[in-house]
Amino acid sequence: MDLVSGYKGVVGLVFGNENSGSNEDSYVERLLDRISNGKLAEDRRSAMIELQAIVAESHGAQLAFGAMGFPVMLAVLKEERDDVEMVRGALEALVGALTPIEHAKGPKNEVQPALMNTDLLSREADSISLLLSLLSEEDFYVRYYTLQLLTALLTNSPNRLQEAILTIPRGITRLMDMLMDREVIRNEALLLLTYLTREAEEIQKILVFEGAFEKIFSIIKEEGGSEGGVVVQDCLQLLNNLLRTNASNQILLRETMGFDPVISILKLRGSTYSFTQQKTINLLSALETINLLMMGGTEADPGKDANKLTNKATLVQKKVLDHLLLLGVESQWAPVAVRCAALQCIGDLIAGQPKNLDILATKVLGEEPQTEPALNSILRILLRTSSMQEFIAADYVFKSFCEKNSDGQTMLASTLIPQPHLMTHAPLEEDVNMSFGSMLLHGLTLSENDGDLETCCRAASVLSHVLKDNVQCKERVIRIELEPPMPSLGASEPLMHRMVKYMALASSMKNKDGKSSTSGNLYVQPIILKLLVTWLADCPNAVHCFLDSRPHLTYLLELVSNSSATVCTRGLAAVLLGECVIYNKSNDNGKDAFTVVDTISQKLGLTSYFLKFDEMQKSFLFTSVKSAQPRKVLTRSTAASMADIEDVDENDSSDQKDEDHPILSAIFDVQFVNLVKKLEGDIRESIVEVYSHPKSKVSVVPAELEQRSGESDGEYIKRLKTFVEKQCSEIQDLLSRNSLLAEDLAKTGGGSNSQPEQRVSGGLDRVQVEKLRRDLQEASQRLEMLKTDKAKIESEASMYRNLAGKMESDLKSLSDAYNSLEQANLYLEKEVRALKGGGPSTIADVEAIKAAAREEAQKDSEAELNDLLVCLGQEQTRVEKLSARLLQLGEDVDTLLEGIGDDVGLPEEGEEEED
Amino acid sequence: MSYDYLFKYIIIGDTGVGKSCLLLQFTDKRFQPVHDLTIGVEFGARMVTIDSRPIKLQIWDTAGQESFRSITRSYYRGAAGALLVYDITRRETFNHLASWLEDARQHANPNMSIMLIGNKSDLAHRRAVSKEEGEQFAKENGLLFLEASARTAQNVEEAFIKTAAKILQNIQEGVFDVSNESSGIKVGYGRPQGPSGARDGAVAQRGNCCG
Repeated sequence: MDLVSGYKGVVGLVFGNENSGSNEDSYVERLLDRISNGKLAEDRRSAMIELQAIVAESHGAQLAFGAMGFPVMLAVLKEERDDVEMVRGALEALVGALTPIEHAKGPKNEVQPALMNTDLLSREADSISLLLSLLSEEDFYVRYYTLQLLTALLTNSPNRLQEAILTIPRGITRLMDMLMDREVIRNEALLLLTYLTREAEEIQKILVFEGAFEKIFSIIKEEGGSEGGVVVQDCLQLLNNLLRTNASNQILLRETMGFDPVISILKLRGSTYSFTQQKTINLLSALETINLLMMGGTEADPGKDANKLTNKATLVQKKVLDHLLLLGVESQWAPVAVRCAALQCIGDLIAGQPKNLDILATKVLGEEPQTEPALNSILRILLRTSSMQEFIAADYVFKSFCEKNSDGQTMLASTLIPQPHLMTHAPLEEDVNMSFGSMLLHGLTLSENDGDLETCCRAASVLSHVLKDNVQCKERVIRIELEPPMPSLGASEPLMHRMVKYMALASSMKNKDGKSSTSGNLYVQPIILKLLVTWLADCPNAVHCFLDSRPHLTYLLELVSNSSATVCTRGLAAVLLGECVIYNKSNDNGKDAFTVVDTISQKLGLTSYFLKFDEMQKSFLFTSVKSAQPRKVLTRSTAASMADIEDVDENDSSDQKDEDHPILSAIFDVQFVNLVKKLEGDIRESIVEVYSHPKSKVSVVPAELEQRSGESDGEYIKRLKTFVEKQCSEIQDLLSRNSLLAEDLAKTGGGSNSQPEQRVSGGLDRVQVEKLRRDLQEASQRLEMLKTDKAKIESEASMYRNLAGKMESDLKSLSDAYNSLEQANLYLEKEVRALKGGGPSTIADVEAIKAAAREEAQKDSEAELNDLLVCLGQEQTRVEKLSARLLQLGEDVDTLLEGIGDDVGLPEEGEEEED
Repeated sequence: MSYDYLFKYIIIGDTGVGKSCLLLQFTDKRFQPVHDLTIGVEFGARMVTIDSRPIKLQIWDTAGQESFRSITRSYYRGAAGALLVYDITRRETFNHLASWLEDARQHANPNMSIMLIGNKSDLAHRRAVSKEEGEQFAKENGLLFLEASARTAQNVEEAFIKTAAKILQNIQEGVFDVSNESSGIKVGYGRPQGPSGARDGAVAQRGNCCG
């Protein structure tokens, strides 16, 4: 290669100026001419060497070579196979023509000759199969340069090369065979195959058919596993290409070699506290392999889930969890990136896998007697790490653990028992013997002492996973009471109240102590809000507990309208307020849903309230959320930066815009975003509902409008008056609410010109107002109707009262008549007795007279009685009819009849006795 | 997991003759009446026992469509056995056998054992190719032959196992160089030889078919 450097000088001398394109053109043309038409082998060879040199360093020469050189070079490769030197030279020239010149300072939009040449060469029919055939040449350099050339082609135009190689019979087989070649060639072939397999499923399968797995793992083993050099990294990259979304290859690996070779790469041997950068990258690559296996095949694959599940189950059978825990939890010397990736893998491994969840839940780390449940260790990492990435990764483990795992949640929640005072204030280091729950509670309240809410909000995030969708856990944690921070300060308070306090503290700390908490505040409030939103969801008792303290509502309202709070803080506060409405089952005045809605519309206005939702929905966090973000593919260029994530984030975070803070994007996962979206719909609906069915302060029962028996007219009027007063004040209330709404509406209407997006919610309010107005109208109409009804009923009642009086007098005259009749009868009887005493002689006479008289009297009284009965019968039917009518009118018949009945009833009874 | 030998198979033949169904019947013991067109190549694996020796079969089921030929040809060279399948109810699939065979002869290892399978034997009432014709073609070209049904599982096990037995016989006769990668045969890490029961439990011993 000395020649090359020599020629550089020559070339520089000859051209001086790189842009003298025509000179280069003719120079390249002359060289090519010498190569193709020259007779002297020596001259042709030297021409080839010159060509190599100029093509390797000049833009213009590359262009010129592309325009004219390919046929000449391919002819050499095809027809002069025996002249090894020429073949080598031609290959080297081609590689040069396809390699971008590093420090070419051309304008950006200039044609890239390397790319153009790649395109030209890969279009050349048969060139690829010609190159592949060169791979079986004896000469080492020929094979070496051929591989380099193919790699260059693949780098610049992968798709065309992949297609071309697929159509060449045994093309891939030839390339695969290079893996068995000597080391330099093998390493070159690894790179080539890595490029070749990128996103080419069929090529990936053929490689595996050709035994790629066996070869890759044997090279890795040979090179020393994770301790090995960059070749191990290349092997793992090729392996990952073969497995990425390729279910067929995953099955094949599982069914033939098994996952053991992958897992054994994760085994740490030797000095576990020395992690070179290469080892870090190797471990990260192996962790990616595990991750790819857990992701299964492509989305479209119908058997995707089954394959995923089998992969996960097989991995756990092979004890991958132990290795992951060793990497992610137990080895303090492992770089943060490795620890995070291992934790991520643990999370993925257990997500939705009941069996794996159980295994993790029962896993114990450490050696007797210093053992500890793995989950406790992970929690400690989560609370104590200085790396934000590690917190996110550990948080993901708990999220995965709690997702659809109510038993697990209950298990974790069952240990949430407040410790006696001294314990809670113990330093964090003394937590080894603490239960999970105590550690968590400790973390939640630790900040009290040092004024930093970081630990608190991390613990809050874990707690929100424990509570999610689990009513029992929610209820349980509601009951947790904490002792006051200082024993002297008041009584104990519920944990929930303490959390609200911390949230309030977070905003005040921002002003006080700039440096340490500006970044903290970005996510402290959202995380605590997330906890509360998760907690209150579907849990009326939690709502009750939250509203138990009056300032909470006020604070929340302030937070919603606080312009210095972030969009998502305001939005979440609005969601929390909404939850106080939709899950509110309270009837207490001042705590019920109605009051909350009223307060919202008074203090905020419904439009601006709903605007908070819209703002949040439109924020970066909500729009950028995706179901499963595919992780960045590790390549040689990105691997180094991946391995270096150490603790840069600490410094970074303050510069970051609050919107895309990494913790926030981790916290706002799909499930939570969906929950918030669902809640928003419910809240809108529910608020409209509350407005359209206002809870009336006065119940309108017609019976109560009646004058009660024994109630004097004065009292009655008074009662009616208070009733009307109440209704009046209610109408006033409604009117004022109406005007509030109208005002709100007017504001929206004014603003809608500049902010068309508000119209939606404005329209909604308009609809509400309309509805309310209609309701109000209806209510007053109803009131009017009731009033006329009442008058009618009253007049009817007085009519009936008159009637009853008449009947009474009738009855009285009847009974008078009866009395006189009886008297007459008595008189007659007396007379008869006197006559009897008068003389027996007249007895017969008297007897006859007596009989006649008795007959007469009997006749008389019978007729009279009959009349009476008829009259009574008539009276009876009339009463019956009237009572029915009264009953219809809602009148209490019995009480009405009470007074009258006495009068009517008595003679009737008397009558019956008489008979 | 341990086995004495690992054999690579390919399944080839016209589209729609039931290649994927044969594989599914062999690996999962089930029949799927409606099967999507195979794209490229699909993989399946099963352990069998022949002469009390555990043998792992890796089977690549190829797409029958012409457009995939260039891809599927890549699988010929590394295979120790091939199942060449036609449909007894479709004459044209039988007529195409010669071209399939030529393809195989051209790209595959010359010692590859080929089993000719007349599939869909359960549809005898719609038969378009007689059993004798199939036998005749196999005899002329030195192929093993069976009529089978992926639906009823009839002869499916036999087809795979007889092919394996034939390969094993070739090994014992020294036809193969088992150390050669391209033979489609790998010697297992398990013990070399000796008595053993069925390893996998998945397969009944159908044993002595080669004897």
